[in-house]
Amino acid sequence: MSTAQRAPLVELKHVDRFFRKGNATLKVLQDINLNVYPNEILCLVGESGCGKTTTGKIIAGLLNHSGGEVNVQGRPLASYSDRREKAHLRRTFQIVHQDPFASLNPSHTIAKILSFPLLRHKMVKNRTELAARLLELLELVDLTPPQDILNKYPHQLSGGQRQRVSIARALTVQPKLIVADEAVSMVDVSIRIGILKMLLRLKEELDIAIVFITHDLALAKYFAWQGRIAVMYLGRIVEIGRTPDVIGNPAHPYTRALLAAVPEADPDVTRAKEEMPLRSEDIPGLLNIPHGCAFHPRCPFFVPGLCDAEVPKLAVARGFNQEAACAPLELGLPLTTYAG
Amino acid sequence: MRKLIRSYTFRTVVQGLITIWAVMTFTFFLIRLMPGNPAQIKIDEYVDRYGMSEDQARQQVATLFNYDPDQPVFEQYVDYLSDLVRFDLGRSLTSTETPVAEQILRFLPWTLFSVGLALLVAFSLGVLVGLAMAYWRGGLLDNVMTVFASVIYAIPDYIIALLLIMVAGVQLKLIPVGELYGGSTQGIEPGFTVEYILDLLKHAFLPVFTYVLATIGGWMLTMKSSTISTLGEDYITVARARGLPERRLLTAYVGRNAMLPLMTRLAISIGFVVGGSAIIETLFLYPGLGRNLVLAIGLRDYTTMQGIFLVIAISVVVSNILADLLYGWLDPRVRLGGDKGTE
Amino acid sequence: MSASADVRAVLSEKSLVQRLSSGTRGTVRALLRNKAGFLGFLGVMFFIILTTLGPLVIPYEGDPRLDRLRPGARSLFAPPSVEHPLGLDVKGRDVLSHIVHGGGPLILTALEAGILTTIVAVALGAAAGLLGGFIDQIISAASNFILTIPQFPLLLVLATIVTFDNRLGMALLLAVLNWPTLMRAVRAQVMSLKSRDYVEAAFALDLGLWHITTREVLPNMISYIVVNMIFTIRSAMYFIIALMFLGLVPLTEPDWGMMIFIGKQQGSLSNPEAAWMLLAPVLAIALFQLSLVLFTRSLEEVFNPRLRQGV
Ligand SMILES: Nc1ncnc2c1ncn2[C@@H]1O[C@H](COP(=O)(O)OP(=O)(O)O)[C@@H](O)[C@H]1O
Ligand SMILES: [Mg+2]
Repeated sequence: MSTAQRAPLVELKHVDRFFRKGNATLKVLQDINLNVYPNEILCLVGESGCGKTTTGKIIAGLLNHSGGEVNVQGRPLASYSDRREKAHLRRTFQIVHQDPFASLNPSHTIAKILSFPLLRHKMVKNRTELAARLLELLELVDLTPPQDILNKYPHQLSGGQRQRVSIARALTVQPKLIVADEAVSMVDVSIRIGILKMLLRLKEELDIAIVFITHDLALAKYFAWQGRIAVMYLGRIVEIGRTPDVIGNPAHPYTRALLAAVPEADPDVTRAKEEMPLRSEDIPGLLNIPHGCAFHPRCPFFVPGLCDAEVPKLAVARGFNQEAACAPLELGLPLTTYAG
Repeated sequence: MRKLIRSYTFRTVVQGLITIWAVMTFTFFLIRLMPGNPAQIKIDEYVDRYGMSEDQARQQVATLFNYDPDQPVFEQYVDYLSDLVRFDLGRSLTSTETPVAEQILRFLPWTLFSVGLALLVAFSLGVLVGLAMAYWRGGLLDNVMTVFASVIYAIPDYIIALLLIMVAGVQLKLIPVGELYGGSTQGIEPGFTVEYILDLLKHAFLPVFTYVLATIGGWMLTMKSSTISTLGEDYITVARARGLPERRLLTAYVGRNAMLPLMTRLAISIGFVVGGSAIIETLFLYPGLGRNLVLAIGLRDYTTMQGIFLVIAISVVVSNILADLLYGWLDPRVRLGGDKGTE
Repeated sequence: MSASADVRAVLSEKSLVQRLSSGTRGTVRALLRNKAGFLGFLGVMFFIILTTLGPLVIPYEGDPRLDRLRPGARSLFAPPSVEHPLGLDVKGRDVLSHIVHGGGPLILTALEAGILTTIVAVALGAAAGLLGGFIDQIISAASNFILTIPQFPLLLVLATIVTFDNRLGMALLLAVLNWPTLMRAVRAQVMSLKSRDYVEAAFALDLGLWHITTREVLPNMISYIVVNMIFTIRSAMYFIIALMFLGLVPLTEPDWGMMIFIGKQQGSLSNPEAAWMLLAPVLAIALFQLSLVLFTRSLEEVFNPRLRQGV
């Protein structure tokens, strides 16, 4: 259970990611420090546009970083120079996308979609083995009866079924880590739980780590209760720790605001819930990120001269088990409502 | 922002200059690869036509123009280039020393007039009819015009020209084709007289009519589909809900917005006005730049060919740049250089 | 165990055949759905049959037939009659026989040019779109370059340098001139398809660039490519006939372009009697081109996977 015992699969150290937009530079990620351990569940939470997908793609090796260091299985990413080694590494990390309509190629049947990687990487020896493996994969993701599904084209399946096929496709190459990017946010609420339960089961059975990306804190809480949560705001991680700590006793004002916005009557959440009137509803753009703590123009506990001076570092404040990046907290100041 | 646009424009202009230079260089060497050279063609002509001996003809030709077929091609290129930076296009090799620039200036107006007029007519008529087709979609006008546009769009321009001559001219005698060939009637004094202008229009009729028929179908169909998608936009629904009169809606909102995608096409088409259509001008004996280029190719008149290719390349590049800028100006999203990320 | 056998059946040839046959039925339905497109299809079929099977039925008349000079007539030209449905040409030969025998070479050359152009354009467009960077810049610069030179005069110049004693040479030349437009369109499509999630998934699965190009990206562009290939065939035909028209390609009979050239040379343009030897090829070309353009409407429906499999 304890994650620290095993060496991290992926280590992001001071990772930045910039995009050019005309002559301007979008600082989409800044100074991200994050480890993903084998067989753990790590949740990335935050409002849309805060850089979750970008982080997920860097973890999965699908996007280059602009600055900082990425270590994979204990070695710098750049040190993987051998082509076969690189190819193998690539397969170790898989992604499941958000949009069930865009993640499967409309021109192939499910059988084909799943066979391509199996055949390409010679993971089966002959037709019989291929058939057996396809069957096994579909059963793993609870798609039954498999023979009905195999002959179908993606558009003939429901959104939930497609997401299951996406997951099965990721499993073909026996990955050690799956980045599930909003994997259930576009499927019907009624079948979300089924897919989440299945993912948890797969994590246990197949010994994989899951980076679960969501903008929905309630979903994160349900899915990652045994794991960790990282809360992101405008390209930075503002709070990270074990899920029960973050949910039950949120440290950063932004996390508290997110929790306050969770609508359901959730006993765990309600306990920590408090009234959080933000000073502004507007999220600043990436082209003019506020100086100091990026959350300060909205933060109800804003301390002038402190919060807008320097970017706060992640640290464990007194009274908490998790790390948070909040200057007043770190100094042990009581959070009081800003009156100006 | 201003700086950005300026630098983008600057980059485009530099790219355009490089393209023009590349085309110039390429055509320079290419046309010298053609079998035969202008001197030899003239010599053959004298031998054939006037029964001169080979040597006589050679001497005669040497006095006519100073083209030395034995000069190394690269030297010729350097000479040409050094003339070119002084805006000197050289002299025609076959029309007894006429400067190429003068020649181009003589033929260009014919092409500009005929193709330009045709573009104007085809574009405005096509846009109007396309708008009407989209607005009364499924009606009689739409059905008839869609068939007409598809058919006319599919048929090559010179086939249209041939049909025009044969059916409307020779068979039905609707058009006095015989009188319409050429640019103007001999004997009519050029000048700002009603007689001369009417004569010009008369002679431009065949090529202009052909160009209009060959291109109007495309404009109609594009305008129709562009209008249909504009009609589906939210702001049109909103404007309609606000009770805006239909006619004003059609002209002020729909028409204007539907035309935006056509503007860049128009700018690109303008670039091709200069080149004209070699084949249509040849067919109607119209004294434009395109026909002249065909003649120069036949005579291996290197400098004239070179000059015409250069003028056409410049006009295409310039209009492409204009289209580019126009597009950026009409669609603010492009002005920032797009959303593309750079790795 | 039995489920596994079922799966094997799914993967076996038999089901493939089933899938194919249901595919044929879908194709026919898609063909019929668009009326104009179907008309175009019929037209194209008509010309293919006319030029392939026609020569087996109608003998070719290559030599002048002075014996057909009617008493009192000034020329051999003749309007349509029962024996000669399209009349006689300047040498008294049957125009129909030239139409039947003279379409094949032209259509074949245009077809070869169209296929070659499409191959070049798709390969370069895919390379530019997928690889990006330096390769993209080179290919794009080359296409801009070609598009800046006026096509037809350039072809005239090239036509004097390259001798067209074989069809393939001509087709190759047309491909060199015609690839840029389609390449640009393919490149744009590839760029947009490249950012699709399923392509990213294929990268993550390390399926390789070849697989990604041929199995993930191109299948979704087939309809687009095929339709554009038709337009390329059309434009190739336009240029070939234009060259013949000006007498610039080695002129061999029988050929529609050649019929126009001879007709024009013989003054048929102003001679009402001669209209038939000119009108026949002109109409044949016009109708064939029209059929091709109309046919693309049906092709769009046939190849668009969503339009089809939705049934
Ligand atoms: N390829 C790209 N080019 C430019 N900007 C991008 C690109 N990818 C993402 N961004 C920008 O980065 C920001 C974060 O995006 P993303 O990581 O997708 O956020 P999230 O997944 O949290 O919604 C957004 O503002 C988005 O516009
Ligand atoms: Mg996202």
